[in-house]
Amino acid sequence: MPDMDGFKLLEHVGLEMDLPVIMMSVDGETRRVMRGVQHGACDYLLKPIRMKELRNIWQHVYRKKIHEVRDTECHEGLEEILMMRNVSEQQSYDGYLYCGGDMTPGSKKRKDFEHKYEEKDFADHSSVKKARVVWTVDLHQKFVKAVNLIGFEKVGPKKILDLMNVPWLTRENVASHLQKYRLYLTRLQKDDLKTSSSGPKPDIPPRDAPDKCTESTKVQQNEVVSSHRTPNNLIIQNSSPTIHEVDIKRNASLQTTKPKKILTGYAAKTGMSHPFASTQYSSFNSVLPTQYCWGGGSKEIQFKQENNPPQFQVQDGFFTGLGLPAQQNIMPSFQPPDPVISPSWSLKDHPNNMELSPFLLQGQHFSSTNVDHEYKGVVEYNDQEFLYDPLRYDYEYPTDPLEFSVIDQGLFIV
Amino acid sequence: MNRLLSLLFHQGVLDEQFLQLQQLQDQTSPNFVSEVVTIYFHESEKQLRNLRNILLDREMWDYVKLGIHLNQLMGSSSSIGAKRVRNICAAFRTAVEQNNRSACMRALEVLEHEYCYLKNKLHELFQIEQQRVLGDAVRYPGAVHHQ
Repeated sequence: MPDMDGFKLLEHVGLEMDLPVIMMSVDGETRRVMRGVQHGACDYLLKPIRMKELRNIWQHVYRKKIHEVRDTECHEGLEEILMMRNVSEQQSYDGYLYCGGDMTPGSKKRKDFEHKYEEKDFADHSSVKKARVVWTVDLHQKFVKAVNLIGFEKVGPKKILDLMNVPWLTRENVASHLQKYRLYLTRLQKDDLKTSSSGPKPDIPPRDAPDKCTESTKVQQNEVVSSHRTPNNLIIQNSSPTIHEVDIKRNASLQTTKPKKILTGYAAKTGMSHPFASTQYSSFNSVLPTQYCWGGGSKEIQFKQENNPPQFQVQDGFFTGLGLPAQQNIMPSFQPPDPVISPSWSLKDHPNNMELSPFLLQGQHFSSTNVDHEYKGVVEYNDQEFLYDPLRYDYEYPTDPLEFSVIDQGLFIV
Repeated sequence: MNRLLSLLFHQGVLDEQFLQLQQLQDQTSPNFVSEVVTIYFHESEKQLRNLRNILLDREMWDYVKLGIHLNQLMGSSSSIGAKRVRNICAAFRTAVEQNNRSACMRALEVLEHEYCYLKNKLHELFQIEQQRVLGDAVRYPGAVHHQ
């Protein structure tokens, strides 16, 4: 997949869609494989793929089914659930085979992927009491809202559940989702720490960076934060090394003033984004090699920087869609992006279009205009030497107060 | 055709992955191999062009991008069973890792050469097969050709 770090995609997919993901790559280095597993890959196959290896995949399916059965024993109609899950799993099983790679993926994402996913989703919705909870955007929005209201330190599954007011959601669902959310945030923080090496703030930058964008309103759900930032406000031109974290979920407008790591998500191909119409999410930006300008009115600036200049651009915005108009007035040395932008998305024109698929901004590192960077539109995750904590620890309540700011961003991939 | 195939195997141009590919071809997808190989040709040509473009730049090479394209090429070549192409890619990759410019240029030359050879041979293979199929149909109108 061009311009998309396979590992990030892994996380996104795993958290958002809750789909098992199998990675395939020609690169069989142990480190790579470990990273893949850390990011949630169910399996890591080495290319060329052999039949024998494929024959063992059913074990994943079966194992997952068993676990789900255990989780949902409280729901009525266990058999019904099993049956439905069988159906949906069979449907979506093929879609699970996700040809993701590492930083230099050698495979292409299967087009079937989204279609299968949709099928599965419908199958899920067909039964309200379906065992497996699909964390749709709306649901996740409620979740985030609840978490924000409660306050991140005090948050607990029961409180969230009460606030969310979703009758069919169980405490266990919320708890596991909360855990995933936290893990995601921690990992982001760690990435921030690693990547902001030369920045003045090693941690998540303080909220009131003077030269940050002036937007600071808390984003409410379904409120589209105006992502219009004039170029003046954008740090990019100043090559400020702050990191911005922006959650570009579909309905989640985020305050983007805070310097956070820029998260960019994008669809692998234009074709991919289409099936993700209003209800679907996690359409990734189809424009991988594109760069997005920070120019005025641009909702999103997406930069992929291969190497890791320690500077980060302020992420402007809030994408409502995938297509990012590329105004390239910022970086003269950038190549013009390929016109891969999905025609169905137009950020600029539909700031209030909540139906567009959400976007997850990925961490982008790119140098400022001053730096002669070799931007080629590729995310070089590997080069950042992120330290991935191999121990995914379970923790109840994070004590880091800085995490609050992260949550405020409303970022999450769900 | 079998002679050509065994020659290619003997030369190391193809390996058993190609056989596995052939096994995937059946009644429901009768032209599977040729379709896949055609796709492979398209994509790898793109990658080769990208590689060449990067290498043509006199001053600065984007090693990272080189690596990405290379990886893609390597992955798809290995999935096809193009053993020699894949090995060259691996050598190319080490040259990239060592930032060895001359080795990279040489590797690219060899790569392109091998790729052309592979492409020609595979085209030949498909042609022979097509002729054989046609011939079978003419000679034995009702026969089911094996494959």
